[in-house]
Amino acid sequence: MALLKLENVTKRFGGLVAVDKISLEIKEGELIGIVGPNGSGKTTLFNVISGVYRPEEGKVIFDGKDITRLPAFKRAPLGLGRTFQIPRPFSSASVRENVAIGAMFGTLAEKVTVDDSLEIADRYIDMVGLEAYRDKAAGTLTPVEKKLMEIARALAMRPKLLLMDEAMAGMNPKDIDNMVTFIKKIKDEEKIAIVSMVEHIMRAVAGLAERVIVINQGAKLVDAKTEEALTDPRVIEVYLGHSKDESKWRSEVWKEVKNKDE
Amino acid sequence: MKKTLPKYYPLIPVFAAYLIMFIIGFSMPGMWQMVALLAFYCALGQSWNIFMGMTGYVDFGYVTFIALGTYGMSLGITYFSQYEWLGIGIIGIGILFAMFLASLSALLEAFIALRLRGAYFAIACIGINEGLRHFIEGAKIWGGSEGLIYYGALVQALGRTTVNQLTSFWADFSVFIIAALAAFLNMYFMRSKIGYALTAVREDEDAAKVMGINANKYKTIAFLTSGWLGAGVGAMAWGLKLGHVYPDDVFVIHYTVECIVVVLLGGAGTLLGPVVGGLIYGLSKYWLAVIMPGFQLLIFAPIIIIIIVIAPEGVVGLLKSKLKGTKLEMFIE
Amino acid sequence: MFFTLLAGNLTHGLLLGGVYGLATMGLSLIFGVINVVNVGHGQFIMVGAFVTLTMFTALGLSPVIALPAALIIGMALGFFFFYTVIRRLIKAPELTSLLATFAMGILLEEIAKLIFGADFRGYNWGLGKITLPITTIPMSKVYAFIGSTAIALFLYLWFSKTRLGTAIRSVMEDREGARVCGVNVDWIYALSFAIGIGLTVMSGVLLTMFIPVGINPYMGGVYTLKAFVIAVLGGLTSPYGAFFAGLIFGLIENGAYTLFALIPGVAPFSLTVSLAFWMLFFLLLIKPTGLLGK
Repeated sequence: MALLKLENVTKRFGGLVAVDKISLEIKEGELIGIVGPNGSGKTTLFNVISGVYRPEEGKVIFDGKDITRLPAFKRAPLGLGRTFQIPRPFSSASVRENVAIGAMFGTLAEKVTVDDSLEIADRYIDMVGLEAYRDKAAGTLTPVEKKLMEIARALAMRPKLLLMDEAMAGMNPKDIDNMVTFIKKIKDEEKIAIVSMVEHIMRAVAGLAERVIVINQGAKLVDAKTEEALTDPRVIEVYLGHSKDESKWRSEVWKEVKNKDE
Repeated sequence: MKKTLPKYYPLIPVFAAYLIMFIIGFSMPGMWQMVALLAFYCALGQSWNIFMGMTGYVDFGYVTFIALGTYGMSLGITYFSQYEWLGIGIIGIGILFAMFLASLSALLEAFIALRLRGAYFAIACIGINEGLRHFIEGAKIWGGSEGLIYYGALVQALGRTTVNQLTSFWADFSVFIIAALAAFLNMYFMRSKIGYALTAVREDEDAAKVMGINANKYKTIAFLTSGWLGAGVGAMAWGLKLGHVYPDDVFVIHYTVECIVVVLLGGAGTLLGPVVGGLIYGLSKYWLAVIMPGFQLLIFAPIIIIIIVIAPEGVVGLLKSKLKGTKLEMFIE
Repeated sequence: MFFTLLAGNLTHGLLLGGVYGLATMGLSLIFGVINVVNVGHGQFIMVGAFVTLTMFTALGLSPVIALPAALIIGMALGFFFFYTVIRRLIKAPELTSLLATFAMGILLEEIAKLIFGADFRGYNWGLGKITLPITTIPMSKVYAFIGSTAIALFLYLWFSKTRLGTAIRSVMEDREGARVCGVNVDWIYALSFAIGIGLTVMSGVLLTMFIPVGINPYMGGVYTLKAFVIAVLGGLTSPYGAFFAGLIFGLIENGAYTLFALIPGVAPFSLTVSLAFWMLFFLLLIKPTGLLGK
């Protein structure tokens, strides 16, 4: 059974169709990449899934429940977690408190106390490697550290599905590789499904995702296994236009795809 | 359980301060009035702190709660003192009315908070205050602009001796209790999910919602609590103690200013702040009333401005940063 | 008979609305350019009222002369408060500028109380009246309306035609963009604040032309509330919208007063003041998406 199912979801802003009849399915434990050029509607799609926006048409079904009209704050306890492209820490609170907030209001909301949450927070802070900053105010972290904290905070929610929005933006290749390894580790250890969204860092998706969904101008273009999706001629055209560099693209992507097994 | 004890350490200086104030007022002749005034400001500051310090919303019309509390008590006494069998229960009814009226205002503000933030919210709250005051006068309810005078009715119901004790001691003592209660609730909220939720909402409401926080629920809890406490102060320090109420006396924005001064001086969002601020402001006001009556606000208005510009964290805020890393840190919050 | 009364009152309301509108333009200008809400708005109106009163009773000068005096005083106050307080708070959290402008208002009240005492004062311009079929209107009110509209019109022309006006509009649209184009944004901030305060103080003069009684240090609070309702009605950042919304507000206010006066056992004036709050509440109800939509 699908964990997350979108049925013909359409989101309009006035005359602009940001998301155009998108349907997709994500199963438990899957690792999916959503890829698309700038302005393709990826972030809007995430916003519809996490409840920041309501779609004009279509349905969002999570874990069997229709959450299309459900307020955003009710989706977290169901197991829907999210990180943001530009991190949104609670700046005046410490890293520990930030991550603990994730635990307090996520899937464990009814069962944990404040002290429990702080303990859970410690575990995830260690996992992302931020132990040294535990008591620092979240606002003082560097952008990469803030991203890591957001991941810890989202994980502390113990979600079933984690939406990661450009988690690797602004990172150098070595960090990206580390992050890829890290995300795979999370998926296995926490047993959650992860949707990682990127614009153009193919390295991040090639080595990571089992399946890739390509979005362009609000509509779904391709939904296939990673190698297939990334080498599909339509995808190449969307990114590069009619270009003779097709072969260069193919060889670049093949390199990334092959590297993932090494 | 072992962890909860140190958690509540910051309450110790607060309660110690209140205890010392009480002892001084009780034992030294002529000091009770002054100490009662200080307690009044500490209580108000502590109550307002729950509103602003926790939610980040500024309620410029906070005085509405105090005024409604006063009216609650006034209405209770005016209309129920005829039932002499109720005895001291009249006061209880007054308190219930006070809390009921305060709840209405708090829920209204929570509703407004759904649509407005920041400056707009602040001004809308002034609107509630002015709107209510002119409505009472315009629709001539609750005594209209002539207000209610019920001292006589109170004496008739309870007897002169009891009423004397109430107005000269118990009313002020209740203010101490409210101040202590407000401090405790402040601390309790800060340490519980409510506090964490409100911090998140304050910093980034949309991100908080995605994290699973029902922003409106927690704002409402804070508004209600703060409103009840403010109404309690009004009911006791004005309603019970003075024996009369006029709309022009109670729906006065200046009392909100005083709350702001108290909290700002001491340090917004801190526990000890309102106590320190209340003491500084209360003492200054008392002293100024003696040498230059009617000038307090003239002096304090620029002081507010100066504090905002130069030292927005207030006395306790500064103290906290100086004491960071020392053992005393856990007592100051 | 009732309808004559209503029409008469509505006319008065329209005229007063012009004054309200001008007063709110100052608020919208400051908010639109600097993103600061002047919570002490009503107190600056009070300043204008006292300027008029003093000039009339002490110096025998007509309120028309008080207008430019009020503008100068207002702009001076505006520059003063901007450079001492507001400028430091632009980057600070919203709360601080709220509290600061609030405190500024209180300071003005207390200084006024110090100088003039707390009593209610007034003056009588004694210009005579015009008689229309539906009502008689004191000439001073007509002057007030003409004054407000003229100033509003002048502002419109100034903003659209002059370099400085355009510079201000550019900062309202896009602060950084304007800066990149060579606009001295910091000076524009100061100027806009000063003009906004100047407008507000001037509207105090015009207001007393309309209501030459009840002038006291604490008169401002109610006008802050009304200005806010009008600003919300007309668009928080649009000075022109504010003017027209002011007209509408004046109409509603006086219409309501006429109706309230019919109800026995109430005090219609107080109820009318309370109306502003209910209007605000109603506005909030029907615009659930928040107020920045208009």
